[in-house]
Amino acid sequence: MFQAGVREYREIYWTPDYQPRDTDVLAAFRVVPQPEVAPEEAAAAVAAESSTGTWTSVWTDWLTTVERYQAHAYRLEPVPGRADQFIAYVAYPLELFEEGSVSSMMASITGNVFGFKAIRALRLEDLRIPVALVTTFQGPPAGIQVERDRLNKYGRPLLGATLKPKLGLSARNYGRACYELLAGGLDFTKDDENITSQPFMRWRDRYQFVMEAVGKAEQETGERKGHYLNVTAPDCELMLERAEFARELGSPIIMHDYLVGGFAAHTTLSKWCRRNGMLLHVHRALHAVVDRQKDHGIHFRVLAKWLRLAGGDHLHAGTVVGKLEGERETTLGVVDVLREDFVPANRARGLYFDQDWACLPAVLPAASGGIHVWHMPTLVEIFGDDSVLQFGGGSAGHPQGSRAGATANRVALEACVQARNEGRDLTAEGTQILRQAAAHSPELAAALDTWREIRFDFAAVDSPDVVPA
Amino acid sequence: MRLETFSYLPALSVGQLESQVRAILDHGLVVGIEYTTAPDSRDHYWTMWKLPLFGLADPAAVLAELDACRQANPGAFIKVNGYDRTRQGQVVSFVASRPAGED
Repeated sequence: MFQAGVREYREIYWTPDYQPRDTDVLAAFRVVPQPEVAPEEAAAAVAAESSTGTWTSVWTDWLTTVERYQAHAYRLEPVPGRADQFIAYVAYPLELFEEGSVSSMMASITGNVFGFKAIRALRLEDLRIPVALVTTFQGPPAGIQVERDRLNKYGRPLLGATLKPKLGLSARNYGRACYELLAGGLDFTKDDENITSQPFMRWRDRYQFVMEAVGKAEQETGERKGHYLNVTAPDCELMLERAEFARELGSPIIMHDYLVGGFAAHTTLSKWCRRNGMLLHVHRALHAVVDRQKDHGIHFRVLAKWLRLAGGDHLHAGTVVGKLEGERETTLGVVDVLREDFVPANRARGLYFDQDWACLPAVLPAASGGIHVWHMPTLVEIFGDDSVLQFGGGSAGHPQGSRAGATANRVALEACVQARNEGRDLTAEGTQILRQAAAHSPELAAALDTWREIRFDFAAVDSPDVVPA
Repeated sequence: MRLETFSYLPALSVGQLESQVRAILDHGLVVGIEYTTAPDSRDHYWTMWKLPLFGLADPAAVLAELDACRQANPGAFIKVNGYDRTRQGQVVSFVASRPAGED
């Protein structure tokens, strides 16, 4: 007979003997409970409130087999140096999630539970998405290898730049800035995320001038070029209208801000890109609101996994050395998530679980924000060939202008790649490699003099925990 | 005209070329040589100089093939590719030789 009343969450949802199944979605949460709440109860509450549970028993529980659909909190782990918190591992059965839907995963796993009163703070650190669920997604519209094949660019990182100033240029002047950078040697230019369709530059005007610039730079250099035309829009109809116009003009790539636009809109656009042979550059405005604080929110590695599922060919992932937050090992963990077929658990990089991507295509990490030629040896060493390095201020801020700035970056990049392939140590010999290259490039010599002393040495807010011995 | 990777550096010397070829072979890639007299960034299919050099591990032998291709096609641009079987595509490609006067 149904018995009304409140039971402790741990009676049902704390199951330390549970053996996670290969098909389960596994989550690692950082939990800071209220002081009077026991860790097992807090972990069980997270599992309950993100799956079948609610605060009281209900008669309709008796119409189903709760044990088939419930999540299991199956392990607790202390956090070194932080007595107020712990890591809780939770397993979710596959059938809680709709096929091909990031929205479904977000609504369940990062829903109500983040506002639960018994918990002071909660952070989703990592998520293991089982192959059974991965294969319900198509992922990146093209993937790294197809992008390289289309654009005929191999054996080096790709080079880009965000056009500056980010607001206030007319469409014609904006196209000029784009042309100078591409003709100087960059592969891509980029709309800043703030640029959508403001009164000073409507999107159609921008697209037309920019594509003239792309075409002219291609003709002059004999290389493929592109501009990430931002299609982020007030609604999905306008987003697709912009994407279609970009295609009509012959653009090889468009751009979307995936967290701002939302996963449903983004997934629609990603599928459109696959149908239309279009590359998709993905910006991540809003991410630091969600991922930067160590005790609460969603770690970027999870947002990156969701993006790889929903689809994108480039994703901003931090620079390590530039002006924006991004500790080295944490950033490399995200880069692994984007690029590798199988990513083994690696706590030093903040990766709590093995992640098997099966045959899902890979995403190029984009490094952007406060980087310049002096960073080139380190960037090539950290990110390797499969990356996009974006020098916005680091190109247009060159004393001789954007074209010379672009050439300086291209020369520096090629010199570093050449030296690396010759077996030279980019960290130890970086300065010497750049100086040698500058001997035959006045553009690079001027750039080296301009940015000599600029550094961004601040402690990271978000770093991996001390790795357990 | 620029032709992608290394086209913003001075022409590679024989020693530098050999280093790049060695790097390709050290990564377990298969070298392929292609040539054309009319490079076009939208042309993915230059003429192959023989089949990809399967099983060839000596950089000097690759340089000899490059020379033979140059002798047979004096007006051609010649590209060295590195094929990765696991990625089913080329992961290295650069123009190793240009016709005289095209530097």
